[in-house]
Amino acid sequence: MPYWYYDKKDLQNTPSFRDGISTETENRYRKEGARFIIDTGSKMDLGYNTVATGVVYFHRFYMFHSFRTFPRYITACCCLFLAGKVEETPKKCKDIIKVAKSLLTEQKFATFGEDPKEEVMTLERILLQTIKFDLQVEHPYGYLLKYAKCLKGDKTKLQKMVQMAWTFVNDSLCTTLCLQWEPEVIAVALMFLAGKLSKFEVVDWNGRLPKHSAWWDMFVEDITMELLEDICHQVLDLYSPQTQPSGGDSPPLSAPPKTPKNDKKPHSATPPASVSPVAPVATKPAVTPIKNGEPPPKLEPPKAALGPAPGAEPPRYGYPPYTSIPPPYVYGAPPPALPPRLPLLYTEPPPAVAAGPRPRYPPPPPAPPAVVSVPPPYFPPLPAPPPRPYYPPP
Amino acid sequence: MSGSNDSCQNTSAVSSLSDVSSLFQTPKKYEELNVIGTGAYGTVYKARDLHNGGQVVAMKKVKVPITEDGIPLSTLREIALLRQLEAYRHPNIVRLLDVCHGGPSVDRDQQLVLFLVFEHVEQDLESFLKRAPGPLSENRIQSMSHDILSGIDFLHSHRIVHRDLKPHNLLVTSSGRVKLADFGLAKTYDTEMKLTSVVVTLWYRPPEVLLGAAYNTAVDVWSAGLVLAQLRTRTALLPGASDSDQLHCIFRLFGRPSREEWPATAAVMRDSFPDYPPRSLADQLPHAPPLALDLLKGMLMFDPAKRLTALDCLEHPYFTDEPLA
Ligand SMILES: Nc1ncnc2c1ncn2[C@@H]1O[C@H](COP(=O)(O)OP(=O)(O)OP(=O)(O)O)[C@@H](O)[C@H]1O
Ligand SMILES: [Mg+2]
Repeated sequence: MPYWYYDKKDLQNTPSFRDGISTETENRYRKEGARFIIDTGSKMDLGYNTVATGVVYFHRFYMFHSFRTFPRYITACCCLFLAGKVEETPKKCKDIIKVAKSLLTEQKFATFGEDPKEEVMTLERILLQTIKFDLQVEHPYGYLLKYAKCLKGDKTKLQKMVQMAWTFVNDSLCTTLCLQWEPEVIAVALMFLAGKLSKFEVVDWNGRLPKHSAWWDMFVEDITMELLEDICHQVLDLYSPQTQPSGGDSPPLSAPPKTPKNDKKPHSATPPASVSPVAPVATKPAVTPIKNGEPPPKLEPPKAALGPAPGAEPPRYGYPPYTSIPPPYVYGAPPPALPPRLPLLYTEPPPAVAAGPRPRYPPPPPAPPAVVSVPPPYFPPLPAPPPRPYYPPP
Repeated sequence: MSGSNDSCQNTSAVSSLSDVSSLFQTPKKYEELNVIGTGAYGTVYKARDLHNGGQVVAMKKVKVPITEDGIPLSTLREIALLRQLEAYRHPNIVRLLDVCHGGPSVDRDQQLVLFLVFEHVEQDLESFLKRAPGPLSENRIQSMSHDILSGIDFLHSHRIVHRDLKPHNLLVTSSGRVKLADFGLAKTYDTEMKLTSVVVTLWYRPPEVLLGAAYNTAVDVWSAGLVLAQLRTRTALLPGASDSDQLHCIFRLFGRPSREEWPATAAVMRDSFPDYPPRSLADQLPHAPPLALDLLKGMLMFDPAKRLTALDCLEHPYFTDEPLA
């Protein structure tokens, strides 16, 4: 069975890189391709699962091929086309192409060749072989909701947090996180981030055991603060000015959609005054070991993964299933400057635990005494909001 | 700006197909040795996986029609499911090692050749039973029965109905374990891909299917019941010659079902069958222990709603009581 997770070194040495495309440019191509799948999918009313599946195919595809050989926008179309079928939300190839055409400049659409539909058909077979027919992909969304259900605290605040985390998950599709970490890990990390930014401190949760020092210990084994921070920063980097599509470095996606999606309003949130660390108890995880690329430890998968998630899934991409609230955050411009790579939380890593089965993740460093240092407010006056609500309420 | 000239914009999207030819090395990656079986829907070859130290595999070649919208959704769904199931590595399910296809272009008849690469298993249950020198020991029967039912229970717990359980589709490893093969591609196959020359056996078909009534996972329990009986007799218990003859065979053994039991949706009239009196299963299987007979009766109930589920079977005293000596 194919294994779809890569370490950072692999993510540098890609076919595109070997083909003379810089990592920076490749990441921009990935981001643009992913964004294009999101935009095309949402314009066609495809669900968030289909869109995310398409994006994961896209990222995996370019671990085997160069962006020079396969232009990104037609590959993106093909990924969405295939994802539509696999997720049982099929769209006609010609309709996808029609929407793609409406979203792209003439020059970009020219990469689709003379017979775009035939090209997509051929590409479908190449795509299938490349992703080794490994069609079923899991996403962080379901885990996000599952985890949220266990958390106790103010309902409104919790909803806000989930909504923010949901948006982070949407945006994480533009990074290569899905090539690095299982969806469970991404869900934990981005909910952690949303908790920090929305000032929702999780102090209690259902199923809490004495050995849990943080809520996520219940769901993911051996997750360290370093890892959480690394994941959060990969998403936050999307909003940092250096990587914003300013100037000509990242050409905008042609004709703006008819409905203004970048209805920018400044966000008025205040910075998190203090970042309170989770109780720095010596951690000994965990209850639910997960591993995506490996067979589940037991024969029976978590039941939640099988049935439809209770509380009916949101029909469209972009909304968490809290039906009562419209997407409240109209995210404004990116924060002026986000200090990169600063810890989000100041707990020392937990003492070394017996080396778990996790691949690639380095064991935590030898345990210094758990110290909580009081951080300066590292977050600038704007909680790094994602740049847009993808879809206005219907 | 540096990145503004998009160096990788070609005028034709997939112009450099030669670049991907390395992807389609199916003929090079697997060396076909000989045909192992020809089923109703495709041919199974014994082959060597040249990228894996020459490991012997079973390669099933299936043709899939390409539609207006590419590869059919049903085929994709089913392959996705097979792949997903594979993650569990169930001991009683044949391993699916790889899936590939013939290449980026399709032939003139608009069909795509799919290769499903499975672990190679010594033989199927049909030939195992044929070759067995004498009756199987009760221990062997019990462990094979348990294997079969575990595999079925696994499929059913993932909402998959096999629909075609029979000794040909059950594989026996060199150490005597049984693994289920040939499931999950039902919809793909149904698309008129059936090779008309191959006769599909009816012997394991449950009455509700023969009667054209609605069916569900219980069909597999019926078929498994007949296979379990065959572990003792080594020949098929109900070798019908046609659809209706198969029903006659069933009723001759179990009696014609009552008017109440006859499915409302049946496409066949109850009156078209004589009022066969039920006979004793014990007469057919003289050496079977009582618990085994009780299990088989539960699996071979006419009414699918009354039939045991695969899980019920696994919890039956035949398996859970004191192990046999
Ligand atoms: N993994 C395997 N190892 C060894 N032999 C196999 C394997 N898979 C299949 N075979 C052999 O090939 C035969 C046909 O395979 P299979 O049942 O998958 O094809 P099919 O086309 O669906 O046939 P049918 O419709 O008759 O069931 C089997 O009866 C078995 O003898
Ligand atoms: Mg078969």
